[in-house]
Amino acid sequence: MSNPLRDMEHPDLIFCIGTNMTECHPVAATRLKKAIAKGAKMIVADPREIHLAKLADLHLPIRVGSDVALLLAMAHVIAREGLIDREFIDARTADSEEFLSHVKDFTPEWASEICEVPAADIEKAGLWFGEGSPSAIFYTLGITEHICGVDNVQSLCNLALMTGNLGIEGGGINPMRGQNNIQGAGDCGAVPNNFPGFQPCGDPASAEKFSKAYGIDIEANPGITKVTALDLCGKENGIHAILIDGENTVVTDPDMNHCRNALQSLDHLVVIDLFLTETAQLADIVFPATGFAETDGVQTNTERRVQRLRAAVPAVGESKPDWWIIAQIAQRMGTPGFEFESAKEVFNELCSLSPIYEGLDWDRIENSEYQWPVPDKDHSGTPRLHEKEFKNGRGLFKIIGYRDPAEIIDDEYPVWLTTGRRLQSYHSRTQTGRSSGIDYLLSEETLEVNPDDAKAWNLEDGEFVKMASRRGEIQIKVRVTEQSPKGTVFASFSFASVPVNVLTGGGYDPVTQTAELKVCPVRISKL
Amino acid sequence: MTDQEIIEHWQDQDAPLLPVLHAIHDRDDYLSDDAIRVVSKGLRIPLAELFATVTFYHHFSRSKPGKSAPRVCTGNVCCLNGGKEILESLKSEDATPMPCSGRCDDMVPVLRGDQVFVGATAETLEHRPSPLPAPNPGNIDECIFRHIRAPKRHTLPGYQATGGYGGLKSAVASTPAALIDLITESKLAGRGGAGFPTGVKWKAVADAPGDPKSIVCNADEGEPGCFKDRAIMEHDPHALIEGMVLAAYATGSQRGFIYLRYEYPEIQGILQTAIDEANTANILGDNILGKDGFNFHLRIIRGAGAYICGEEGSLLNSMEGKHPFPRNRPPFPVTHGFEDLPTVVNNVETLASASQISRKGAEWYRRLGLDDHAGTKVISLSGDIQRPGNYEVPFGLPLQTLLNDWAGGPLEGRTIQAVTMAGLSGGFLAGDDLQVTLDEPCIRSNGSFLGAGGIIVLDDRRDMVSAAHEAMSFFAHESCGKCFPCRIGTQRLTERLNDGANLEFAAWQDEINDIGSVMKATSACGLGMAAPLVTESLLRYFPDAIEQHLSHPK
Amino acid sequence: MNQIADNTRICTMTLDGDDVKFCEGETIYEVAERHSKEVPTLCYDPRLEAFGACRLCVVEVEGIRNPVASCTTKATEGMIVRTKNDTLDKHRTTLLEMVASENRNNTVDELAGYASQELGNLLKRYPVLPGRFAGKKSGNSNTDDLNPFILRDYDNCISCYRCVRVCAEQEGDHAINVMNRGFDTQITTEFGNDLRDSSCTFCGQCVATCPTGALTDKKAIRAKDTPGEVKKTRSVCIYCGVGCSIDILTKGDRVVGIQPAMDGPANEGALCVKGQYAFDFVHHPDRLTKPLIRQKDGTFREAEWDEALQKAAEGFLKVREKHGNHATYGIASGRAPHEAAYSMQKFIRAGYGTNYIDNCSRA
Repeated sequence: MSNPLRDMEHPDLIFCIGTNMTECHPVAATRLKKAIAKGAKMIVADPREIHLAKLADLHLPIRVGSDVALLLAMAHVIAREGLIDREFIDARTADSEEFLSHVKDFTPEWASEICEVPAADIEKAGLWFGEGSPSAIFYTLGITEHICGVDNVQSLCNLALMTGNLGIEGGGINPMRGQNNIQGAGDCGAVPNNFPGFQPCGDPASAEKFSKAYGIDIEANPGITKVTALDLCGKENGIHAILIDGENTVVTDPDMNHCRNALQSLDHLVVIDLFLTETAQLADIVFPATGFAETDGVQTNTERRVQRLRAAVPAVGESKPDWWIIAQIAQRMGTPGFEFESAKEVFNELCSLSPIYEGLDWDRIENSEYQWPVPDKDHSGTPRLHEKEFKNGRGLFKIIGYRDPAEIIDDEYPVWLTTGRRLQSYHSRTQTGRSSGIDYLLSEETLEVNPDDAKAWNLEDGEFVKMASRRGEIQIKVRVTEQSPKGTVFASFSFASVPVNVLTGGGYDPVTQTAELKVCPVRISKL
Repeated sequence: MTDQEIIEHWQDQDAPLLPVLHAIHDRDDYLSDDAIRVVSKGLRIPLAELFATVTFYHHFSRSKPGKSAPRVCTGNVCCLNGGKEILESLKSEDATPMPCSGRCDDMVPVLRGDQVFVGATAETLEHRPSPLPAPNPGNIDECIFRHIRAPKRHTLPGYQATGGYGGLKSAVASTPAALIDLITESKLAGRGGAGFPTGVKWKAVADAPGDPKSIVCNADEGEPGCFKDRAIMEHDPHALIEGMVLAAYATGSQRGFIYLRYEYPEIQGILQTAIDEANTANILGDNILGKDGFNFHLRIIRGAGAYICGEEGSLLNSMEGKHPFPRNRPPFPVTHGFEDLPTVVNNVETLASASQISRKGAEWYRRLGLDDHAGTKVISLSGDIQRPGNYEVPFGLPLQTLLNDWAGGPLEGRTIQAVTMAGLSGGFLAGDDLQVTLDEPCIRSNGSFLGAGGIIVLDDRRDMVSAAHEAMSFFAHESCGKCFPCRIGTQRLTERLNDGANLEFAAWQDEINDIGSVMKATSACGLGMAAPLVTESLLRYFPDAIEQHLSHPK
Repeated sequence: MNQIADNTRICTMTLDGDDVKFCEGETIYEVAERHSKEVPTLCYDPRLEAFGACRLCVVEVEGIRNPVASCTTKATEGMIVRTKNDTLDKHRTTLLEMVASENRNNTVDELAGYASQELGNLLKRYPVLPGRFAGKKSGNSNTDDLNPFILRDYDNCISCYRCVRVCAEQEGDHAINVMNRGFDTQITTEFGNDLRDSSCTFCGQCVATCPTGALTDKKAIRAKDTPGEVKKTRSVCIYCGVGCSIDILTKGDRVVGIQPAMDGPANEGALCVKGQYAFDFVHHPDRLTKPLIRQKDGTFREAEWDEALQKAAEGFLKVREKHGNHATYGIASGRAPHEAAYSMQKFIRAGYGTNYIDNCSRA
C-alpha cells in the first residue's frame, strides 16, 4: 500500500475495485466503515453484490474482466469535466498529454457495452472520483488475477496520477496484500526478478553486490517465474528438483491437474510444511516446520510495517523453523553462508543487504513502529510513499487499451465463473480447517448462483451440479443467492473436496504470469 | 400503501423513521419482522439497531392484535378510579395496560386504535372531547386560558376573533431581536418544568451558527398527572402554532416539529387541521405574512410511547430515528439539536404563552404573578379532589387556595393526606408542607419542585407506601436503561417499596438513602435524579407507614 | 492517535489541586487518566465514543452542583476538578454494590476475555459490601446459541453497551443491539436470533471489550481448569496481510486462546474470526512431528533429521550434477516469516547462482 492503514479512515471518496475486503481483509475494512460513518462516499466495482457493495453509495456490477474499460471511461469523464489536478500532473508526472488525448475516445457509453453497467453510473463514478478530496483506491486480486492484471493496475495508477491522489493522507493506491507475509516474501527477494530489497536482478551492480556477499557468481538477469517453472517440470533442459516451503501449490494454483503432473515428474521434490498437504504428499522428503506460536521471526504487513513474530510455546514434536531446515540442507550441499544460529542472525543479514531495511535490525523492530523504507538508523520509517517525489523520478502515464479475457463465454461454456475467498476459510484450509468451530460457520463449498439463473437452468438450492471448463470438471453444491449477478457464478477454492482450480488457468498475464483466476467460462449441468 | 410506497413517501423528508413505522403499524396493526427488515433497508438503519428502537417504545406492537387491541390507562390516578378493573374486564379483547395517558381530570381513558374512550367501567366507555378548563375560579387574569373557552376557538376564525396571530403580525413588522427582547423582558421560562428563560434560549439559537435551524415543540406530555398540554392543543391549537412561528421568526428557523405523545391521537387531527388552515392563510409556509424569506414549515411527529422522550435529548434522538436515549450535555440543543443543528425545544405551554405575550406585552405578563413572581402556570390537578382539572394559577398562589377555594377541597368526609408535585417527579408534600405557595423557590425549599405542574391529591384512605410503589414502578418502567444509577436504582427502590426486600427498617432506610443519593447525584438525566424524591419524601412524612409495611410485607 | 495537531490550543486546569496542561477537546477523564488518577469506569473503552452510562467516573467540578461524568465532559480552561474524595468514593461504592447486585456471579476466569476482570477488580478496590441491594437479576443468558466461539452469559451482563458500541463503531457490523428498556434491557441480535443468523462475523471484539465476562471466549475458557498460569506473548496474526497484533495466551505448552492487542498499530484491538479463533491447528494431531522419507512402495516413513536432511541434500546435488544449475527451483512461502523467505532465496542464489526462486503471490 502506498498509504498506511490508518489513512483508510480519511478518504473523502473510496474506490474499491476487485477487493472483497470485508471477507479477505476484515480488519482493514473496519477502517473504511469508519470513514463511511464519518461521511465518506464509496464506489465499489465488483461483479458480485459483496458486503462492501451493500455499504457502497454506488455499486458497479461490472462483467468479470472488464475493469480496463471502466477505468478508461472514468478517466475520460475526469478529463472531460476538467477534474484533473493540473499542478500535480505538471510537477510530478510524464506523458500526460498523450494519455489525456488517448482517453478522449473512451466514453461511458462505450464502456457500458463492455462492462454491462449503465453509462450513467460510470459517468457518476468518474465524477465522484474526480471530485473526491482525497480519493483513495483499494484493490486486491480481483485486479491482478487477470491476463490484463498489469493493465488493470496501471489504469488505476493513471486515475491516481491524473487526480493527484498520491502521497497525501487518505489518498493513494492501495493493494491489499493477501497473505500475512506475501509482502515480506517480496521484500526478502524470494522473486525471480529482484534481490532482497527490490534490487533488480537485471542490474549488474546488484548482481555483483550479491555475488560478492554470497561468494558465487549470480546471473545478472531475472529467473523464470513459478508458472514457467511448473511448465518446464520434467522436460529436457527443464526443472527436475524443487524445494517448496509452506505452499499447497496443488490446491491453490490454477489448473490443478497440470500442476500435479508437473510436480510428479520431478526427480526430487522436497516440501517443508506443518501438515502433509496435498502438495507434500507428492514429495520425496517432507520436513516438519514450526508454525504460528512456535516460531521467532519477522513479517511485513500490507502497509510495509515490519513486525516481530514470537514463539509462545515449544515446537510440536521435532519440528524446526523453516530457516533452520533450509540452512541445514544448504550446509550439507556445501553452500557457504548458512551457519545461522538464530532467526535474529538471518534477519540481520537481510537488513545488511537490503536498502529498504538498512536502518533496521532485530532489536529495533521490537515495537512494530517501522514501515519501510527505513534507509538508515536515524530514519523513523515511511508510513506514506510518494509524498514529495516518486522513487524513479516522475509518475508515468501508461497508454492502456481494453482486451477480452483469455477465454470468453460461448455456446459450449456459456457461464462466467469467478473465484475468490470467504471470511471463515483461509486458502486451502490447512489451518482454518483444523481449528475447531470454523465448520459451524462454513462447512462446505457451494457455487453461488443468481436466482434467475437457477430458475432458467432448472437448479434447486442445495442440489449438486457438474461444472466443467476447458480443463476439467468438478461437482459442486448450488447455493441460490442474489449475491451473484445473472450469468456469473462464484466459488472459492478452499475445500479440497471441491477442487475449483481444476477448472481455472485459461490464461496468464504476459508480464507477471499471474493466472486469470477471476475469469473462467464454464458449463453447468445437472448430475 | 405498500412498504415501498410508504418508505418512498417519507425517506427524503426530515425525521422519517417514526412516520414510516406508524404508517406500517396503522396498516398492519403490528410491526412484523419483515416490515422491520424492509424499513431497515429502506432507511439504511442497521437491523439490530432498528429492532432495539422498535422494542423501546411501549405502543409499537410486535404481534396481532396489536394497535387495535384496547390499551387501558393504569396510571396513578386511574388506579384510584378503577383502571385496573376496566383492564380486567377487557382482557377478552387482549387489552393491555398503559402508563398515565394524560386524562386524569376525566374518567379512565381507554385507547382503541386512534380513538380515546373514557368511562368509569368497561360498559360505559364513550368517545368524547377532553374536558375544557373550568372558568377561572379566582377571577384572576389568565394568559394561557384567556380565550380557550371561546366557541370555535380551535378554528382559525375562532382564534383570530380575539386577536389571534395579531402578535405575530406585529412581531414580523419589527425585528427578530425586538421579539427576543420582548420575551426576555416578560421573564417567560420553560413551562415543561426546567424553567430555563425562554428569551435566553431563543437568543442562543438565533446567535448559533448552522442552518437550517429548527423549532421543536415538546408535546410528549408523559408525566403522570399532567394533562395541561392536552387541553391547550385540543382547544387552542393555533396558540401553539403562533408561538412556534414567533420562535421561528425570532431565531431564523425554517423547520418546525410538534413531537406529540402517542396517547393523544385525536389531537393529531386537530393540530393537523390547524396547520393546514395556517398554511392556507400564509401563516406557515414560504414568505409568511408577505415577509420575504421568512419560511417556516411545520410538521407533527407522533411519538410511540416513551416517557423519556419528554427529555429533550431523547426527543431529538427519537425524531432522528435513533435509540431514544438522553444525550450527553453539553453540547445543548441550542447549538447541537435536531440533526446537530441549532434547535429550540420548548414546551406547549411555553409557546402558547409566547403568543399572548407578543400581543399583550412583557409587562402585562410579568404582572400576572403574585408578589415578585412573573407570569402564570397551568396546574393539572387530579386525584382525591372535588373538581379535578386544569387551573391557570398566578405564580405564588397558596396551594391551599387552589385545593380548597378553587377545586372544592377534599371529597366529602375526607382529609387530604398528601399531594404529589411535578406529577410524580417531585415526590410528595404532606403535613405542614401543604402550606406552600405555588412557585419554584418555595416548593424547592421543601425538597420538591413544581416542574410541569401536575398535582395528584391523595386523601386519608390511601396507603402511602402503595402510592409510592406505584410511582416508583412507573419510573422503573420508563427508565431508558442507559445510566446505571437509574436503571438499577428505580428497580431496587420499586422492590423495596413492594415487599421490603426482607430488610429491617434501619437497613431499609440505609439502602434507600444510599440509592437515592447516588441517583440524585450521578444520574444522566432528570428521570433518575427525580425518582428518589418519592422515597425521600415518603421517609420524611410517613416513616410509620414504612415500618408498618416492613413488618407486614405484602 | 495521540498526535497533537499544530493548531491545538493548550489549556490549563486544576486537577486534585495541581495545575495541569491539556489540549482543547480532551475530556476530563482523558486528562485524569494521563495523570494516573485511577478514575474507575465500566462503560469506557478508549476506542469508542464516550457513552456516560456507568457514572463511576463522575468527578466534582467547582461551580457545578452535581458531579459530572468525566468521560463525556470536556475539560475547559481554568476548570477546577476533584477526582477523589469521600463523597465520590461513597457514590462509587454504592454504584458498584448496585451493579454487583444484578449479576449472578462477579468472579470470572481471566480466560473469559481481555477486559473480563474489570468489574471484579473494581469490586476489590472499593469497600463493597457483598449482598447489598439484593433483588431481581438483570439479563437472561442465551445459552441456546450453540455457536462455538462466543458464550452469551447475560446473567452477568451490566448493560454497559460496550459490546453493542464496539460492534457498531469499531467493527461496523451492527450485529447486536438491545431489546426493551430500563432494567429489562437485554443485549440481543435482531429478533433475538442466534449470532450465526445475524450480521455477526464472529470477530470477537464484543468479547474483548466485555468488562464482566458476560460475553466469554468459549474456546479459551475450555482451558479454565488446565493447571498453570496464563502467559501472554505478543505476536502477529498469520492469516491475511493486515498484520494484526495479538497476544497469544498459553498455559504450559499449549496455546489456549488469542486476544487482540489494543495497542497493535494495524488493528488497534480489532481481529477477525480467523485471527481470533482459528489457532488450535497448532496442536492438531495432523501436525507433522518428524521428517518423512518416501519409500520405494510410495508410502512415507518417519526418519531422523540427519538422515532426511542428508537425503534432501543428496537429491539436490544429484539433480545439479545431472542437469546443471538451471534445473532446480525454489518456491518460498507468503505465510512463513522473513527468515524462511530470505533463506529460500539464498538457497537458490548462493547454491546455484541463478534467480530461480519465486513465491506464492502469483496464485
